[in-house]
Amino acid sequence: MTGSATVPFSGPRDGEATLTWGQRLMWRAVHLMGDSQSFLNCPWVLPVHGRRDLAAVLRALRALLERHESLRTTFAATPGGPVQRVARGGELAVDLVESGRERPLQAAERIAGELGRTVFAHGEDLPLRCVVVMDGGRPKALAFVFSHLAVDFQALSLLSAEWRALLRGEELPPPAWQPMDQAALEREEVFQARSARSIRHWRSVLDEVPLDVFDHPPREPEEPRFLEVGMESVALAAAAGRLSARWTVGTTSVLLAACATVLAEVSGRRRAVMQLVHSNRRDARTRSMVGTVGQDGLFVLDLPATDFAATCRAAQRNALVAYRNAHYDPYAMQAMREEVGRRRGREPDLDAFFNDRRGAGSWPNLPRLGSDEDVAGLTGETRVHVADAWPGVRFKVFFTVGTAAETGQLSLIVDTACLRRDTARAMLLGVETLLVRSLTEDVPMAGVCRLCGISAYGGGR
Amino acid sequence: MTADAGRLERELADMIAGVSGGGISAEEVLAGEHPLSALGLTSLARIHLIDEIEDAYGVDIDLRGELPTFEHVGTLATALASLLEGDAA
Repeated sequence: MTGSATVPFSGPRDGEATLTWGQRLMWRAVHLMGDSQSFLNCPWVLPVHGRRDLAAVLRALRALLERHESLRTTFAATPGGPVQRVARGGELAVDLVESGRERPLQAAERIAGELGRTVFAHGEDLPLRCVVVMDGGRPKALAFVFSHLAVDFQALSLLSAEWRALLRGEELPPPAWQPMDQAALEREEVFQARSARSIRHWRSVLDEVPLDVFDHPPREPEEPRFLEVGMESVALAAAAGRLSARWTVGTTSVLLAACATVLAEVSGRRRAVMQLVHSNRRDARTRSMVGTVGQDGLFVLDLPATDFAATCRAAQRNALVAYRNAHYDPYAMQAMREEVGRRRGREPDLDAFFNDRRGAGSWPNLPRLGSDEDVAGLTGETRVHVADAWPGVRFKVFFTVGTAAETGQLSLIVDTACLRRDTARAMLLGVETLLVRSLTEDVPMAGVCRLCGISAYGGGR
Repeated sequence: MTADAGRLERELADMIAGVSGGGISAEEVLAGEHPLSALGLTSLARIHLIDEIEDAYGVDIDLRGELPTFEHVGTLATALASLLEGDAA
């Protein structure tokens, strides 16, 4: 470390309010995960373009803190329930680090990852930590970790866009909407009605869904228990893009359909039930809000008897149902889930997830490719590797589509008490095979297991 | 096309342009040369549009039906008109 600096800030207002629905969801998640909640931290890097001096960079950082109440918020449990507390003023301490032999952006990404390993004390800490990466005494990048209680990926993208403008010295209009405003809105009748409708949808699924994601009994897990297997595949992205255009469905639906198919096949069932992590920013007011708005939708897909094209169309339709019903008061949702649990003996386990982190639903820097056969030829370049491990993130299965612009990134977290790492690897490659083969022929659903080299794990039903 | 049908299509095209955040113009929607997905109408925008249609016309749209998967404004307008007639009956 080469030094430190302090960024004092003074925003337009302070206050205390109940949590927004997005914050309530995340509040519960961080407490359920305990020491593993660092999984939920959000590392992020903001590059410093041009020859800006440290004072200009710290001024821009101060502007972000003053604009967005979420970045000045702590979260506390009170007898009346958890609250968000917005501070008007304060200061953020930042370390200054020389990049040395590393490229500054590379150093910033490494440092952001390191910052993310420490959990936040949500009641005392500002919800971000920052290190300025210097090169020859000049700031070149900012490495951050944010608490997921303060931001989601859409919020991070907003911060990136504002950062570029602030560094150029532009005056930005004040944000029109803050999480305290959202918390007030969510108490209104129209939002309560939407919440009630969403909860009715979830209840209709929970009344019927199997109690467990898998029928087979747990086995001795690996240590650490939860493994993330990652795949980088240009073929995956190219095939998803072409099938999306051919079948007039979104690339997210194509990927979701393939992930749900391999999950259903491995679980030995004809129905996949997954939670969809959803940005939830369909209300125009939330589009420019820095905060955590995302909630989970509940997606159900019955594998059709026909082909994979029909599966993608069904996935698109059912994802719409899931997204629409991803807007609810998590407290009311939890009460309903507990009521279902009392009736059915215990709460159904919904620990299978899908998250598409891409904003635009495309891969803008994908190499130009020729025929569909050329795409198939690229599968030899696909990389699959163990990306990370945690002791207790509480997922059975969690698919994530990553944000890389030049290749398809798909990762899968598995609970190794349920699925072995080689099964996770086979599931990822199975998704790729399903998409690539669908480019050149109709893939009947009856032949998916054989085509993808997967089978019901432990004997399904 | 009747005047009412034309007006409904125009209103819906304006709504689609609004939920697309400026990515799609009402004229592109009305031209109908490309499916709305190809023009860039995302799932999120579709859900926002359905919220707006429900609020504006006082209808309840069943997402399991055909209506949410429309690719042309004419199909959407016909489905909505039928829903409105059903409510009036």
